[in-house]
Amino acid sequence: MSRLVLLDNEAVQALRDPAHRKHHQVISYVLDVAKLTARSRTVRIAVPAAVRVEAGWDRTASSWASVNRFRMADVPLDTNHADAAAGIVKRTGVSVADAHLGAVIQAAEPGEVVVLSSDPGDMRKVAEGRRVDIVAL
Amino acid sequence: MTTEEAIDRINELLDSTDLETVNTSMRIPKALRDAAALAVSELGVAPSATVVTANALRTFLEGTVVLAALDLHFEKYPEARPSLADLAIAAAEIEGSPLAQRPELLRRSAAEIQRRHPQAEPEDVLLWAEAREYGAEEQKGAA
Repeated sequence: MSRLVLLDNEAVQALRDPAHRKHHQVISYVLDVAKLTARSRTVRIAVPAAVRVEAGWDRTASSWASVNRFRMADVPLDTNHADAAAGIVKRTGVSVADAHLGAVIQAAEPGEVVVLSSDPGDMRKVAEGRRVDIVAL
Repeated sequence: MTTEEAIDRINELLDSTDLETVNTSMRIPKALRDAAALAVSELGVAPSATVVTANALRTFLEGTVVLAALDLHFEKYPEARPSLADLAIAAAEIEGSPLAQRPELLRRSAAEIQRRHPQAEPEDVLLWAEAREYGAEEQKGAA
């Protein structure tokens, strides 16, 4: 089965700042995914667009250049994800970024997603019963 | 060209939407070419041997360019380099292994295997931990 590793805002901040107490934890996933990719394993690491906005991650800014080199894909906030995220916000009251994470989790195959998050409770909330592996930061 | 510039240029090229193709004079072992041709014609793994080659090259480059970026990162911030145990815990989560729920076992296993095999990979730690657990269960059953 393919795996999709998602980052929440805190995970992005931890990745960007080598002095962050969770930096080595997040970088472990980037390193493992890169090794698996080089061996043609179907595992991806991505950031929902709304999370990237919340994190202030501007790919054109030089201050984010080193993080850009880790080749983390964007998950666009397209029509389907926007509709799903709007529903999640309405039902759970979470932030737009967390709702976009929820929309990606709910659109994926059951058990496909691993999410790195500082708030596992909110991730369970936005998954709304869908199977997801949550790594607490 | 610095390593950073090379990495950035490789990433730009990998992300390019330019569909233009070129003929190359790349030499590959004849047996490998024949194996790829057979995999296409008889196993239907891809539309052509060219697609097989291009896909394999892309995934290899996508992984190795990140590894190169991480090498640079660890040169600059040596303390950011994760331990074998950190990598094994992440690997267990990525693989969906039940061992992900046993981080202490993975930390012990990483320490043990690293003493015997300093070049051990995270996957080796998972196997080691699983073998230890199996052995412990067998012993319990025999007792």
